[in-house]
Amino acid sequence: MKWPDFKKKLNEWAHLASEVYHSPYRGAVARAKRDQDDLFMLLIFSEMMGVPNPATYYTLELQPVLLERFHEWHTRMGMEHSPLDDFKCC
Amino acid sequence: MDHLFDRRIIFVGGKGGVGKTTTAGALALMAGEAGRSTLLVSTDPAHSLGDVFDIRVGNKETPLAPNLAGLEIDPEAEAERHIATVKMSMKSLVAPKMYGEIDRQLELARHSPGTVEAALLERMADLMSDAKSRFDLLIFDTAPSGHTIRLLSLPEVLSAWSDGMLGHQDRSRKLSELLKVFGRDHSREDEFGVIGGSKEEPDDSRDGRIQDILLTRRRKFHRARALLTDPAVTAFLMVLTAERLPILETRKTLDLLGKFDVPVAGMVVNRLLPPEVDGDFLQERRAQEQEYRDEIDRTFAHLKRVYLNLLPHDVHGVETLLEIGRAILQQLGQPGQPGEDVGAAEAP
Repeated sequence: MKWPDFKKKLNEWAHLASEVYHSPYRGAVARAKRDQDDLFMLLIFSEMMGVPNPATYYTLELQPVLLERFHEWHTRMGMEHSPLDDFKCC
Repeated sequence: MDHLFDRRIIFVGGKGGVGKTTTAGALALMAGEAGRSTLLVSTDPAHSLGDVFDIRVGNKETPLAPNLAGLEIDPEAEAERHIATVKMSMKSLVAPKMYGEIDRQLELARHSPGTVEAALLERMADLMSDAKSRFDLLIFDTAPSGHTIRLLSLPEVLSAWSDGMLGHQDRSRKLSELLKVFGRDHSREDEFGVIGGSKEEPDDSRDGRIQDILLTRRRKFHRARALLTDPAVTAFLMVLTAERLPILETRKTLDLLGKFDVPVAGMVVNRLLPPEVDGDFLQERRAQEQEYRDEIDRTFAHLKRVYLNLLPHDVHGVETLLEIGRAILQQLGQPGQPGEDVGAAEAP
């Protein structure tokens, strides 16, 4: 094996090792972030679900920004279709 | 030293039907006479401002007298406008087939509890911070007390809300950064896949937009609260009659104003029977009134009190209002001109 090839292999191993070490953490952090974001979504869209929210007037202006996350969110919450009769996104 | 009209914002509040609009109107006319350009704002959903001045006012600034304009806030229209803005920005993001759903959903939001209140507060806050360039003085003729207190407490409650929401955003952002530390080799992204995150838009830019919206909100609430609690800017004037229920309600209101640090300038005890009333019936009423007057003097000893007699005729028209206004200012112990000593100090 020539030196450049060996270097390439070495790099690959190093990467693999780093991935083996990092992935579990990355997964955990990504999940934590997702949970955080899901909670945020719930706070913003709670009024739609019939949970009274005294701040509806203000959450309303955040809804456009979060609209595209909406589908992703309700599917992850275990609901295949939008849980809201009046707000179907799929 | 400091004159009531040197403030920038005066709230006139009290139980329904005790004479808030009359008091506010009288003060506003006096302020106008004193050369303060004044805006008199009615926040009561059942507006009576126009009736007192005999001018149709409505939801736009309408001249009432020299140096004086009136405005009757229509919270429904404000809410409508707010929701229309949201609708517009939502529709720019989704496919046209969803427009109907969005309309229906936002119609529901319009009727949800608190929306109209929030819209009213929003307009008041905007006036408080923007009207400065056009008016020296804002006088709010508020709705019956309970409602007003709720309104005054909203900035505090909502600051807490927006802080909480920003906290959520912040935690989410920190996790994003952490995710970058465990960063991936981008050449291998396909092989190892992406966990979480949205495909449509990088999370960073959306988080930024959310943050912007929330920060703008919080700034607004904080500013409103800072103005409301600054004794050099704001004064609250209570109006009541010498009767049991108004006294009780006034006490509650003052407690709450104290709790939210809103400075109180004094109270107007309205509609007192004059001593010369004749007839046994009225004399008896007057005796009872005296008891309540004593109670007011005891309970509110720490506040400046103004006593106004019941008039033989309705309060209607500028002349009567001016008379009342003069009486109020005199009893508050400030017959002088506003800003007198300030002006003297600034003279070259």
